[in-house]
Amino acid sequence: MASRSDIPGHGTSGVGVIEIGVGELAIAEAPAVLMTPALGSCVGVTLWDPIKRRGAMAHVMLPTQTGAAPSANLDRFADHAIPSMVDGLVSLGSLRMRLVAKMAGGSAMFRADTVLASVGERNIVVVKEQLELLRIPLIAEDTGGSHARTIELDLETGVLVVRSYVYGIKEL
Amino acid sequence: MRPRDLSEVQIDALKEVGSIGAGHAATALSQLVDKTVHLEMPTFELIPIGEVPHVFGGKEELVGAVYTRLLGDIAGGMLFVAPRATAIALVDMLRSRPVGTTKSFGHEEEATFTHVASVLTSAYLAAIARMADLNLLPSSPAFALDMVGAVLEVVTAEVGMKADTAVLSRSRFCDLEQGVDSYVDAALFFLPDPDSLDVLLGRLGVA
Repeated sequence: MASRSDIPGHGTSGVGVIEIGVGELAIAEAPAVLMTPALGSCVGVTLWDPIKRRGAMAHVMLPTQTGAAPSANLDRFADHAIPSMVDGLVSLGSLRMRLVAKMAGGSAMFRADTVLASVGERNIVVVKEQLELLRIPLIAEDTGGSHARTIELDLETGVLVVRSYVYGIKEL
Repeated sequence: MRPRDLSEVQIDALKEVGSIGAGHAATALSQLVDKTVHLEMPTFELIPIGEVPHVFGGKEELVGAVYTRLLGDIAGGMLFVAPRATAIALVDMLRSRPVGTTKSFGHEEEATFTHVASVLTSAYLAAIARMADLNLLPSSPAFALDMVGAVLEVVTAEVGMKADTAVLSRSRFCDLEQGVDSYVDAALFFLPDPDSLDVLLGRLGVA
């Protein structure tokens, strides 16, 4: 589990790009950049506090932990990763009402396979539900479709850069 | 059966399954492209799901991939992955053209590539089915051309609810005529569902 304490540069002004793997999350402050590569059916969720220039990113793999086998890493589930990012940011001194969210991913990489196609859709739905429950506004998204995305969140500006082979570079 | 509880004997049995399946797939590929295709010793790996996207080069590398769901006695899937250049070379070989003729990956190339993957998958499955006396059928194949990390997420999405470890049997094919640098660098992954491992091991007599 990528806990908040073992993220390099956490709580300080960590420089450089912090890469988040599948089913992990990280919290950092400007001037760091949070990035996660190759989102398919997974969803990249980012939270940003514009005053403290601090943010979090999670690479969510599955919607809910209900029915899952007991596991060491719950960060892969949307219904665990999002509250856990919010708790982390709040414990560092960010106000929940200041946080804004952006998200990308949730595509159907293999369109012809209906079971797999629905994983991305369910991820998107549950991420939005979680954000709504926590009353965090979702200010931008680039979701669905059937292409892979790599995302980077610049903690200085809050801009989320989405890269893909199909659409090139998008800024959210 | 949780993948991490597998014994040595059981892992050896699964390796053997991988070798037999991959051997048949390599023969099928040789016949399709009409040249000898060599097979690297198939590997059988238990990989933490967080590391699955790393198993085939850089996560953002552009690859052609075909996913086939398993129907019958075992649940799971088969995934055929080839870098874009290899995928296009395979299409040229199948059309009996010099490698390098095809430049872009259109609908027709997509269909040909999917067909190759489908033949390899069927050859692999037929061999396992015979060996373990299982009823195994491939579903209709699904194609994608995109970042390999995202393609491999099918593995994590399927396994993620059940286990922390993915069971992954990988076979790599290469064409030694062309020299080591230009080999047909493609991989076929056999991805049994964790719940189906018991069935497979039972039929192999090592449950």
